[in-house]
Amino acid sequence: MGTDILEVSINFAKMVAIFLLMVQLVPLLVWVERRGSALIQNRLGPNRVGPLGLTQLLADAVKFLTKEEFVPAKSHRFLFYAAPVVALLPAAVAFNAIPLSHPIQVEAFEWLGREWGPYTFLFQGYEIGIGIVFVLGVSSLAAYALLLAGWGSDNKYSLLGALRASAQMISYELALGLSIVGILLIYNTFSFSEMVAQQTGPLTFMFFGQETSIGFLPNWGIFFQPLGAILLLAAVFAETNRLPFDLPEAEAELVAGYHTEYGGIKMNMFYIGEYGHMLVASALMVTFYFGGYHIPFITPEQINEFFVSQGQGLTQASLLTALVLHLSFFAKILVFLWIFVWVRWTLPRFRYDQLMNLGWKTMLPWALANTVITAIIVLMMRSSWS
Amino acid sequence: MFQLVPVLALSIFVALFGLFLVFLASRFGPRTKPSAVKQSSYECGLEVEKSATTKIPIKYYLTAILFILFDIEIIFMYPWALAFGDFIEAGHGLYIFSAMGVFLAIFVFGLFWEIKSRALDWD
Amino acid sequence: MDLSSLMFYLLAFMAVFFGYFTIAVANPIFSALNLALTMITLAGIFFLLDAYFIAGVQLAVYAGAVMVLFVMVLMLFDLSGEVRAFSRGLMSGIVKVGSALLVMLLILLSVLGYYGERLEIGAPPSTAEVVQPTTQDLAILLFSRYLFAFELLGLLLLVVAVGVVAVSRIKGGTHARD
Repeated sequence: MGTDILEVSINFAKMVAIFLLMVQLVPLLVWVERRGSALIQNRLGPNRVGPLGLTQLLADAVKFLTKEEFVPAKSHRFLFYAAPVVALLPAAVAFNAIPLSHPIQVEAFEWLGREWGPYTFLFQGYEIGIGIVFVLGVSSLAAYALLLAGWGSDNKYSLLGALRASAQMISYELALGLSIVGILLIYNTFSFSEMVAQQTGPLTFMFFGQETSIGFLPNWGIFFQPLGAILLLAAVFAETNRLPFDLPEAEAELVAGYHTEYGGIKMNMFYIGEYGHMLVASALMVTFYFGGYHIPFITPEQINEFFVSQGQGLTQASLLTALVLHLSFFAKILVFLWIFVWVRWTLPRFRYDQLMNLGWKTMLPWALANTVITAIIVLMMRSSWS
Repeated sequence: MFQLVPVLALSIFVALFGLFLVFLASRFGPRTKPSAVKQSSYECGLEVEKSATTKIPIKYYLTAILFILFDIEIIFMYPWALAFGDFIEAGHGLYIFSAMGVFLAIFVFGLFWEIKSRALDWD
Repeated sequence: MDLSSLMFYLLAFMAVFFGYFTIAVANPIFSALNLALTMITLAGIFFLLDAYFIAGVQLAVYAGAVMVLFVMVLMLFDLSGEVRAFSRGLMSGIVKVGSALLVMLLILLSVLGYYGERLEIGAPPSTAEVVQPTTQDLAILLFSRYLFAFELLGLLLLVVAVGVVAVSRIKGGTHARD
């Protein structure tokens, strides 16, 4: 985590900050969801509390904290309390592994009568060499939270919801895992940072062994993997249990699914987990297919030089560059988060057999086809034909 | 090994954060006397029949086992995709492609057989 | 003791701790959950050994798929009868004593192994520089030297898939035909 006390504490504070960023995005997303659904259904939505109804979020948070603690008599107390805490973990750990912006270079400086630095701070919780596999592995642990909640609360609706949720998550994990193989074939790396680094400049690819460039398109993964992108998007909708795949919570049949018996802050923690997974999914989509934190046609070095030419010191310039690129990343993520909301209020829910058929008989074969086609094209294009 | 320390530190922090939230809620929330009716499981207002741990026919079981098998096959494609570029550069592109081609053919046959034998049908 | 060995002992202790409770608790669900925690700590140990890909696979396949299946299936049963059967009776007593003996045997073996490794008989092994293997190296080995075994594994998985469906269709199986 670092070599001296300052570096270690800054790295830890950074992880906590990224986690809190995820937590505080949840009320905002709930607001977007409520106002967005109102927009789509031609009504107003919450608009009484504060400007645009924004302070509604604050009121909700207070309300969640002042609700009565409720535990059903026949539930397993330990599992009942463990489930919401477990729900927070996978999303937080996975989100911290994704680079949110360019690394910050800090020059050596003097402080409290000591020499510090030079440091390089990554704009992410931690860089894991096997990025993709790690994120996949950690997010597959999310099924435990649902199973614990479903079985621990000793309620038939909860149990059915948990079973549906886990069966659905594992069915779509196959399509998810397979569509990522196409990305690996293009980038040949597990690391998110290297993937992002490969997506700068204009669209460049090998055409039968010749390096070719198309000037007016950015070098984004979506142009190499259009089918994979669609499959991945559909699979993450199922993984996050969002409509049209929200069978686990189908309120018309199962009351509220696995969190039927939960109320107050504990239910809110499940929501943090769910929205956290949406955030991770959007960040993955952006990192794989839409250039990560890069602004099209502008390299981070150019932004850095611009700030230096404006008379900033090297450390400040690096910091400002990271902030600008972080804004670019966030703008891209917000587009995907909006798609999540948009789809939820546009498409109806699947029936259970339709859901299983889609996952196993449609998406899995298509993901396989995507892998094979990508492999053939990569083989043909990258081999030397001289 | 230095990749593990931050992951562990964050996990512990998040778990403590979650417990802290639950603790806050238990401090601020109103307290009422527990009663048998209130603490009973939610069944849409009806009297609770039996416990939730009754036997359920397990159609999920087959799906779950097949998932594990396919998941193992997919995880083997990851190192293959990772090394694909290296093999092509070394001039063994066709070799590495056909190596996975055989594996994929078995995979596709398996999937095709599962679909044809109606093992994945939901009834 | 440096940080690395401290982490190892912490994780190893957790793995043994959860492993013990896997066999010690009476309720099969808690047993499976403890096993899942053991898998996760094992992934941590793989991380510690710089075997990142194996660690990721351990998380994704064992903790994320196999144990989810176990927990899910156990939740579908009414387990009160099984709990009683596992915690009482002569047979379960024999199983308990037997597993305790097995654990003692394993501990004895590991102590012997530890001692044996430090025996210096003959010339000491050469201290060639150890190169950190990467996932790339693993892939290159897997698809060159061990290709045949890899293809056989694909075939084996197919056999298992067909077998699972066949077994579930026999009388008394989960998908028995009426």
